[in-house]
Parts: sequence; C-alpha cells; structure tokens
Amino acid sequence: MKHTFKQIFHSGKFVLGFCIFMALLLLVIIYPIIVTDDPLAIIGQGTFFPPGIYVNSYDSIDKPSPYILNLPDAAAKRIVSKLSESDRQEMKDWLLASGIPENEIDTTDTAKLMEQWETNYDPTKGLGMTYAKQRYYQRLDKSISGLLSPEGKIIAAQNPDTGILEQVGVINQSDYVNVGEVANVRVLMLGTDNFGRDMLTQLVKAIGVSLQIGIVAGLVATAIGLTLGLLSGYIGGWVDDIVMFFTNLFTVIPSFVLLVLISFSIGQDKRGATTIAIVIGLTSWVWTTRSVRASVISLRNRDHVNLSKLSGHSIVHIIINDILPYIASYVIMALILQISAGILTEAGLSILGLGPRTTEVPTLGLMMNWAMIYQAHILGKWWAYLPVLVAIALITFSMNLMNTGLDQIFNPALRE
Amino acid sequence: MKRTIFALSILVVLSLVLSACTPTQAPATQAPTEAVTQAPTEAPTEAPTEVATEAPVDANSLPRNETLYFNGQQWNAVVCWNPYSSNCNNAMALAQQDNARVPMFETPYLYNMLDGKQYPLLADGDYAWDEGMTQITFKIKPAAHWSDGTPVTAEDVAYTWASHIKYNTQFGASNKDYIDTIEAVDPQTVVVKAKLGADGKAVNPLLVQAYLSTNYVIQKAWTETLEARTGGDAAAFMADVAEDVVYSGPYHKFFSDDQKVVLIRDDNYWGQDASMFGKLPTPKYLAHVIYKDNAAGSVALAQGEVDVSQQFNSNIQVLWLNYGLPISTYLPEAPYGIGASLPTAFFNKNSYGLDQVAVRKAIAMAVDFDTIIANAMTNQSATFTQVPRSLMNPTPGEQALYDHDAVKDLQFAGKDIAGANKLLDEAGIVDTDGDGWREYNGQKLTYVATCPNGWSDWQAAIEVVAAAGKGIGIDITTNYPDWGVYQTVVTNWPLPETGYDIFMMWSDGAGPTQPWGRIRHLISSEFAETTNNWNGNWGGYINPEADALIQAIPTMTDEAELKAAYTELVKIYLTDIPSFTLMYRPQSFHAVNESVWTGFPHEGDGTNPPVPPLDLTDGWSIAGLYNLVLVNP
Repeated sequence: MKHTFKQIFHSGKFVLGFCIFMALLLLVIIYPIIVTDDPLAIIGQGTFFPPGIYVNSYDSIDKPSPYILNLPDAAAKRIVSKLSESDRQEMKDWLLASGIPENEIDTTDTAKLMEQWETNYDPTKGLGMTYAKQRYYQRLDKSISGLLSPEGKIIAAQNPDTGILEQVGVINQSDYVNVGEVANVRVLMLGTDNFGRDMLTQLVKAIGVSLQIGIVAGLVATAIGLTLGLLSGYIGGWVDDIVMFFTNLFTVIPSFVLLVLISFSIGQDKRGATTIAIVIGLTSWVWTTRSVRASVISLRNRDHVNLSKLSGHSIVHIIINDILPYIASYVIMALILQISAGILTEAGLSILGLGPRTTEVPTLGLMMNWAMIYQAHILGKWWAYLPVLVAIALITFSMNLMNTGLDQIFNPALRE
Repeated sequence: MKRTIFALSILVVLSLVLSACTPTQAPATQAPTEAVTQAPTEAPTEAPTEVATEAPVDANSLPRNETLYFNGQQWNAVVCWNPYSSNCNNAMALAQQDNARVPMFETPYLYNMLDGKQYPLLADGDYAWDEGMTQITFKIKPAAHWSDGTPVTAEDVAYTWASHIKYNTQFGASNKDYIDTIEAVDPQTVVVKAKLGADGKAVNPLLVQAYLSTNYVIQKAWTETLEARTGGDAAAFMADVAEDVVYSGPYHKFFSDDQKVVLIRDDNYWGQDASMFGKLPTPKYLAHVIYKDNAAGSVALAQGEVDVSQQFNSNIQVLWLNYGLPISTYLPEAPYGIGASLPTAFFNKNSYGLDQVAVRKAIAMAVDFDTIIANAMTNQSATFTQVPRSLMNPTPGEQALYDHDAVKDLQFAGKDIAGANKLLDEAGIVDTDGDGWREYNGQKLTYVATCPNGWSDWQAAIEVVAAAGKGIGIDITTNYPDWGVYQTVVTNWPLPETGYDIFMMWSDGAGPTQPWGRIRHLISSEFAETTNNWNGNWGGYINPEADALIQAIPTMTDEAELKAAYTELVKIYLTDIPSFTLMYRPQSFHAVNESVWTGFPHEGDGTNPPVPPLDLTDGWSIAGLYNLVLVNP
C-alpha cells in the first residue's frame, strides 16, 4: 500500500493534478472562513460591476483631507481620462461642421480647443447628424465642462431647518485620501454578476457545490456500475443476461437526452442540487458496468479465485476479497472520471435552464446560465463568465491529469 | 507520445477558454460604418420562385438602403395572414390591440400613446357622439382604397363587425357586450351604436370609442370570398391562411418562412393622398429576421443588422457608452423609454396568511424595488421615488388623473424592513416558537414566489422579492415553472394553495381606455375567481366598493368627479395591496441603430403630433416611417 502511494506520488501528472485539485479544495474550505458573507447576498444595485477596489465616496469626502500631494502629472491624467484622442477628433468634426475653418482648430492644444468648444457648441444644433451622434456630443459636453478649471468642488448639505443648501467643505484638486483610512472599502476581485452579487464569493461557493454534485453523481454512478458489473461478470448466466440487457438499453439511449427528459419531468421546484446529482449518477453508470464486467470475467477463472471457491467461500466473500482488490485501481480511476463528468453535466444542464433551482445555492452551471441570459458575453463583461469557465476547466483538467497519472501506474500496458 | 498528448490536452483547454472570450470583442471590433454597406448576412433559404418573379429582388438580397430591419416582434414562423384570426403568430402584420399594428390592415383611427388622442386614418375627421352618448358617427376618407383599387366604404366597416359577430371571433366576443350594431348610413358614413343599459345610457362608451382605433376594417368583398371558400364554418373561417387577403395599408407580404418575414411597400397606397400622409413611407421593405433569442437579437442590433429593436436589450447603454455604436433609445438617459405597463406581483388570497393585509403589506414594503429596477431591468424603468406607485402608468397624462397628496401616507418605497417588521408585530403575527420565522395562528408563514422560467427580467425580480422575506421572518422561496404550466395554473381559478403564493403577471399598457381598462383588469371582481382568465385580477381580489367605482367611471364626464374616483381607487389599492407593481415597463422596448436609417422617434424630435417609440408600426407610431431618411443617401 505504502509502495503504491509512493508510486502514485512519483507521477508528475498525478501530482500536478492533485495540487490543482487540492488548491481548489482548500480555497473552497478556507475562503468561507475568512469571508463569511452570504454568497447569494445582493450587494450591488446595478449589474456587472467590474473587478476592482470600491472606495466609499461619501466616507472619503466626509472630512477635509489632511493629505495634499502636488503631483506634476495629475492635471494631465485628469484631462486624458475625460478627453481622449478620439474625443478631440470628434470635437474637431463638430467644430468643422459648425463652420470653424480647419486651420483654426488644433486638437493638441487643449486650452484652445476647450475654449472654441465652449463658445461654439450648441446642443440644440443637430447639424444633420444622427441622434446617436448628437447625444454623444451632449454627453461629451457635460463630461468635459469645467475640465480646465483649477478650482475645487464645493460640498454642500441641506440645512434641515431652512432647506437651503449650505457649503460644508471644499475638495481641492490636489486632495488625496489614504484608502486605508476610509471606513468602507470593498474589494471585489471578480466584480459582481447580473444580480449584484459578489462574483468571487459566489464562485467559491459554486465550486464547492459543483464538487459535491460531481462527487455524489460519481459515487452513485460508480456504486451502481460496480455492483452490477461485479454481479453480472462473476455470476454470469441469466443474471448477466438481465444486467446486460439493461446496460445495452441505456447505452443506445444518449444519456444526456435521458437526463434532460428526467430533469424536465422532475419539475423545477423539486430540482435541488442533490437531486440533480443523483439523477446524473443514475444516468451515467453504464460504462463502468461494462468495463467492470469485462475485468471480472477475465478474473473469475484465475487460480486464486478457483482456490477460494474450492475452500467453500461465499460469493460475497470471493467478490470482496479475491476480485475487488484486482480492479480497485480501475474503479478509482473510473470514479475520478465520473466526478469530472458529473460537474460538466451539471454545467450543461444548467445552461439549458434544467439545473438546480436558483435561490438556494449557486452552481457553476447556473452562474454561466445567468451570465448568458444577461448577455455578459455580448456586453464584454468577461468577469461574469470567464472565471467560471476557468474553474470548470481547472477542476476537470486536474481530475483528468490525476486519472492519466494513475493510469500510467496501474495499467500494465502503459507502465514505463 | 504521452508528452504530446499532455501538451495537446493543455492546448485544448486553453483554446476552449480563449474561444469563450472571443464573443466579447465582437461588438467592439465591429466598426459601425461597416454595417452600412453590408448586406444582411442571413441567407436562410431561397425565396419561392413565384415571389421572385413578382419583384426584381429576392428576400435574401434585399437592398440594405431600402430595407428597415426589426427584431423582437416575430418569434417562430408566421401561420397566416387572416385578420379575423387571433392565432396567426404574425407579429409583423397583425395585432388588433390598444396600439393596433397597421402596416397592412388599417383601423379607422390611430391611437397615440404620447398624447392619448385618436387620430383619423381611414376615417375622415374626428368621430362624434350623439347627444345622449348612445352612438358614434364618423366618415370614411374618400381617398381610402383597397389594394385591389376599390374604395374603402362604410359598408366594409359594417360587414367586418357583422362577420366578427357571425363567426364569434375573439374581437367580436370581447366587444359585443358594449357595441350593439355598426351600420353604414351611406358609402362614407358609419354609425356605431352602443349597447344601452337599463337607464338608456351606453353600457361602456370608453370601449365603444376604443374599438375605432383597435380593430381593423376588412374588405367586404374579400370576406364574402372567404365565406364562400369556407362554407360558413366558423373554425375554417378563422383558420384560413388568407394568402389572397385584400388590405388597405402601405405594406403587404413579400416573403415569409421560419427564418425571415418581409413586407413590401404597395406603391399604390392610398395614404400618399394629400388627405393623409401626402407621400409613401420611406423604406420599401420591412424585414424581420427570426432570431433564436434576445441574445442573438442584441448581437444583430450591435452589428447594424437590425435598425429597430423591440426586445429587452440588457444594459443597452453599454452599446453606445463603451462601444461607441450609433445606437440610441427614445430618452437619452435611464429609463431610456416611456414606461407604460406595470408588471405586477399578485398575492394568492387562498394562500395561508395572505388573506391578512398586514402580511401582504409587510412583504410589499420589504421588497427592494430599487434593486429590481437597477439589476433586473438594468435601469430601464423609472423608480418608485420618481413615480410613486398607483394604478397609473408613469406618463404625465395618467399621473395627472389622481391626487398624489391624498395617498401620500399610503405610499411605500420599498426596503423598509423595520417598518414591515413593526407592522407584523403590531398585527400580532410574530415568531412564537423561536425558529426565526413568524407564525400566524401557530402556522409558519412560508411562501413560494414564482414567474415563468426563462423570462429573465421577471425571474431576477422574483429573486429580489424572495430575498425580502429573510429580513421580515417570512420564508419565501422561488420557483420557475415552464410557461405552459404556469399560464394554465394562473389563468384558472382556484389557484393551488401552495406553489403560487406570490406570482407575476402583467397589466395593460397605454391605450384609449386607460387607465380605466388597466384598473379594471387589475382589481375588478369581474375577473376574480374565473377560469380561462386572460384579463387580470388573477389573485382573486374582491371589493364591491372598487367594483362600483370601476363601473361608474366610463360614463363620468366631469373631470373633478373622475379624479376623485381614480384617487379613491388608488387609495383602495394601496390600502388593501391585492397585488403590487415591481417595475415600470415600456409599451414596447425601442432601441434604434442609425447605421443606415435616421429620423427615428426621439424625445424632443419636433414631430407634431409626437411620434411614439413603438416600432414604427403600432398606432400613431407608423407616422415615423414617413420621417426616415438614409444616413448616407
């Protein structure tokens, strides 16, 4: 046994797969201890907030800033963020259309351009442009108004007695806040999804749930496959005929179609994560049965089995002690494959809207489904689906690597 | 070898991940100007040859600068072109509703949701009620003629109504309690006689005048042909595909299959007469590619393959803010459109505890409506702070119909967990067994909030409703049955005691009978506890006081009296909370891509009367088709 483990951990592929898998598992276990938020809590009012550090602006302007930094490129950066190269070109186009000669317009001279813009721009003038274009200029005009002003912005609050706005402070252009001192800062490493939920917290929970689904599905499928394979292979005769009849029946019906039909007929209200896992398990045992049966048939006439028979051991004893140990490595490998297939199948089902019901737990498939419904892929909100895809890829990749590693050790044909 | 396989497997995984990223770049890299010159890429099947011989182009190579492309209206293939049928699944040509769709068949009047007026189309001038409001008289425009060249006459209007009654079509059935007869006095003059009540007054004058802008005029001669063909069998009469139908509108069928529907302009259209539009509508073809889903439709809009989009495009502003595409909506800022209908969560009065006002009100108060609007609707709805809840839609006309101050104390803006908890505590509905959930008479309050599966914005809204339960000790879970199951259950009383405790349905939008029609459908006991109920009040709310007001309003003429009645109805609604509105939704979503065409309806576009943002085919919005011009002529 010790030797076997030593062998296994000498396989580079197995170790790599194992490390990835353990890293994911640790993440699933440790992250919720650190971040105790409800993974389904809706925190964002709005959809698909991009990844980043969110600093509460109310808290950061609450009191006069003690930090004044005179950075030489601050003004230039501010201008660039509001007035890009293409914006300057568009401004030039508008000015040209309104009759300013081209030689008087210099898009590199911000001050002059702004001055020309402020004197000439009139939002009511359509100049024969499309509405989309007119609205672009209206937005641009609003966004760059006061861009070059050196003054700060006044904070005003409403006097509760008179209802009049009164100045309570000024924010100057060189004022800074130290993020560490702001009361409310939230890091959203993967942004939010369409519901305004923290993607990372949800993703970690979903990986956990999907692993559970995979493991339950894998165990169910392997248990059924193993039992039927052992019985049919060892006992043979009519038992074999009946088992093979059902196995063949299930082989010819594509299991995914069967799965879709069963999930649909269960109804959404009864589709919990465990139910889905069991259904996946119940439809994917066929190949395990066939392979186990084949191995058992080749084992059942071996000398040690015949000896055991002669010694008067029961069928159960023989199967457990004389047959099972010889196919154990295969069964473990099949289990690993079934788990990874289970995770993929859940994702596939959820994308069709036939996965587990949504409010209770997130799963990787459901996250993909909602990202797709809210068109994250069209709107370029990659954080809503790419991390989920990577998670699915990593889980299945790690399991397949482990499987390949094990195969190299236990499969005599592949042994180095 | 093994190393090769290992390397290959890494490559496959990487390529899978990378291929998943590519769609995000598609809209960004698509230069807006490219689409102008591009012919539509969809080439599903060849057009039937007999169609191709009629016109120089076929449906797969429509000239881009003569074609206006739509999305979001037509799902699946067209079944028929029969204006007597209500099952044609022909969204491009047929819709007899508050804002009737008039590119092919026409109504006497066109309703304009922006000013609430009915403008003459086939009719000549305004209609007139007689002294005692028992009948309406209107004239038919002398210029109006059918596609076969014969004039549209009063006899056609009368025969259309007679056929609706004779064959008991949906349009006849829903109006026969209010309209007695429609008669032709002379070839140009139509008299619509209202059904009179015991007091000698019209039962419902509102519905009588609404008929004029809701229902098509169908040619008598063609109807007789159809009758001869179907031998008087009502089922066959309504099931006829009517490929030979005669129409009066500016467009007719050019091509239709399961991939695309195309209408072509009739250059003989009567509306180019000076008494109507004075010219032909600009696009020669109106085309609608049948997309698989909203996502496919959004991609087509972004790529300039769709000019007018009537579907829910989530986060539409990204298309112009981030991608700089020439796409715009009716309003420049959120909510981007004009809210007209009120998607509503109904309470099932049979569910345990929901007969208690305190429970209903507490749930409604606790819901975070701002999150529903920001997340589920991606801000494409006014908020309840901007437009406080009532039975009215957010248009200024309807908002002016009730006294806002009189119901101020009954308003709730949502997310008021403390207020909701206080209300429940005061009503004695508390957690008696310490499990964290409240009980009513010893039984735990547990509900299922539901809406049809796949209706994404509704599902997201229901998730937020369910989340509200946690804060107030009421256990709410969600469930999304298939639409087929859902619609059967909610439209047939009695509702099951569990599973449909809080469920979403719609309300009427904008129309000539609104807001009265919407209020009637939301709370009138006419529809409570009925089967095959497609009208409303699905929760089974009954209040005789509200019924009396709903019955009285259609015959009220005094504005102050009307306002008092509407205010009272809003008061009843906000006190009893038989249902609560979750968001405001436009009559039609309306986003346009100006790669090829411009001149679409926009707020402040200077049109008079204002052209509403309704697809350029519905009600008065068809006037927008005459304002279109090419971006690059």
